[in-house]
Amino acid sequence: MFSDHNYLSRRRFLSGFASASGALATGVGSWVVRPDWANAAEGPIKVGIATDLTGPIAYAGNADANVAKMVIKEINDAGGLLGRPIELFIEDTASNESIAVGNVRKLIQRDKVDMVLGGITSSMRNAIKDPIVARGKTLYIYPQLYEGKECTPYLFCTGPTPAQQCDEFIPWLIKNGGKKFALPSANYVWPHTLNVYARKVIEANGGEVVFEEYYPLDQIDFGSTVNRIISNKVDVVFNTVIPPGVGPFFKQLYEAGFLKNGGRLACVYYDENTLNINQANEIEGLASCLDYFKALTKDDPVSARIQAAYDKDYPGKILFAAGSAATGTYRGLKLWAAAVKEAGKVDRDSVAAALDHAKIAEGPGGPAEMVPGKRHCKMKMYTAVAKGGNYEIVARSNGLVDPKEC
Amino acid sequence: MGSAFAAGFEILSFGAIIVLVVLGLGIIASMMGIFNFAQGEFVLLGAYITYLAYSNGIPVWVGMAAAPFLVGALGFVLEGLIIRRFYAAPIVAMLGTYALGLIIRESVRGLIGGFYLSVPEPVGGSIDIGSIHVSTWRFVIIIVTTLVMIGCYLLLSRTSFGLRVRATLENPSLARTSGISTASIYGTTFAFGAALAGLAGALLVPVFSLFADLGIRFLIQGFVSVMVGGVGSFIGPVAGAAVIGTLSAALPWVMAPVAADILVFVLAIVFIKFRPQGLMSGKGV
Repeated sequence: MFSDHNYLSRRRFLSGFASASGALATGVGSWVVRPDWANAAEGPIKVGIATDLTGPIAYAGNADANVAKMVIKEINDAGGLLGRPIELFIEDTASNESIAVGNVRKLIQRDKVDMVLGGITSSMRNAIKDPIVARGKTLYIYPQLYEGKECTPYLFCTGPTPAQQCDEFIPWLIKNGGKKFALPSANYVWPHTLNVYARKVIEANGGEVVFEEYYPLDQIDFGSTVNRIISNKVDVVFNTVIPPGVGPFFKQLYEAGFLKNGGRLACVYYDENTLNINQANEIEGLASCLDYFKALTKDDPVSARIQAAYDKDYPGKILFAAGSAATGTYRGLKLWAAAVKEAGKVDRDSVAAALDHAKIAEGPGGPAEMVPGKRHCKMKMYTAVAKGGNYEIVARSNGLVDPKEC
Repeated sequence: MGSAFAAGFEILSFGAIIVLVVLGLGIIASMMGIFNFAQGEFVLLGAYITYLAYSNGIPVWVGMAAAPFLVGALGFVLEGLIIRRFYAAPIVAMLGTYALGLIIRESVRGLIGGFYLSVPEPVGGSIDIGSIHVSTWRFVIIIVTTLVMIGCYLLLSRTSFGLRVRATLENPSLARTSGISTASIYGTTFAFGAALAGLAGALLVPVFSLFADLGIRFLIQGFVSVMVGGVGSFIGPVAGAAVIGTLSAALPWVMAPVAADILVFVLAIVFIKFRPQGLMSGKGV
């Protein structure tokens, strides 16, 4: 009936060919943020951001992209780096490693960026680090809190490590919760590796791990787990179950009377975004340990300034939060900028040499500095407790905490 | 003793949740011969409607009551526009409904921004029996599931509508000759299946929170339930769902959860190998 529509006319072929080649040339899902003065004599310095703009953790990826735009604009408005403007290239890693590798190659080969920052999950970092660092011969900054043990040359980590999240937090939990710990966990690399470290710290401080158990990533019913936690009279649930399981898990714990019996929830990736997964009363008293909480803006003017700048440019639901790697992204870009200034050039070896001991005096949550030779970042750490749907800071580190990596 | 009671309740409540999700899927699969891969997204839509009501200040239970009707209406429209074209080709229908589900899922993901959002229960808290606390809302779900299950059974076995649905399933041409409008029966049955999914989503969202993959999470379990139970009757898929739901909730009590997750499917495959027609074979209610 519609057979006349099936002929491929020359016009249809050409228009299809043109749009297909157009898409190939520009790439789908690429964003370029060009500064106003991009035609400066030497040309701009190119920064690549590869993050999850789509997919299940898009809320985190978009926050990171927003922070990058904000920081780069701030640097450009203040005269750029080495008298050159910075041009920002943003690629989507789409929460999918094979798409990510293709898009990261675009940053390296087509856009020829001088540095790539991004990746949120550890599996993403492992997928894109080789195309960036080894084959791409480019500097890579990974901004998310993670399980540690990433010691690849030219790969710098600006998020908290297990030592930073456990060393002061677990003694606090033992004092403000109790000695009997349960480690319910999602079955992937971050919980497995973090738990090894956490168990060491728990036992060194006189606590005991009553049970450590791993669940499929999409498990959403935790009846047997909750029962074991209640019947073993666990004091502290040190949770590494991730969404979507974590909401139902905390709810079932609450309904089984864990909080009523004086139990303490602890979860080191919990930030302002994850607070909304449960009703406030279901996670009352949940403790988290991160490099930044919005509650800090009350007494830290630098954090307040950064938070206000972000909220002004990006009001809405995409929050500036530590668990989304937003603070690590801020820190990473500022440390890199400081390194470029010191090196006076943008080639990989000079910048890496300067980044190795780079310092910034102002960042979200406080100053930060790279530990020479370790490619990890010293930073201040804060312990916060959820009260009525908001965090209250209950403990802070004395000065910068060592990442203890590499 | 207390622990055994708690275990029994948890297993029963998860079994009820799976049955609730599978009801609509089973009715569409058995009464229409179509595997609806968008069923999980109808569950998601039911959950989303409940969240919308809550976030706009409307009482949660109003949203829950509205969800089945809205999702059912959408199901009716989709049947007329899209599903109707696939009855002759069940395999293509799977792909078509999968595409439909993908569109709904990604649209909802866009609308909720990829977040995990909580919706409170209309009746929260827990019932305390001595030192044992059981969730009030899960208790409500068990009761509602039982009522809906009985209601569906009576509708299909005791009413003239049920008779016409079964007639249409067994012999469409004879049904048409006898003056039954099979087109409108298909439309109504699909809408009914979608409405049940909407109800399931509305009741589940306080338990599991709202996220875009809420529906697809249950899809595999739902299909395994239908396969184990047997296609063709109303009781088959429901029985299958009870078995799969109970197994998935019970096995983690006795072994590592990661192993339990796999074992459920292994057991289902072995069962289907030796009894391909499922628990309940044959057509009927």
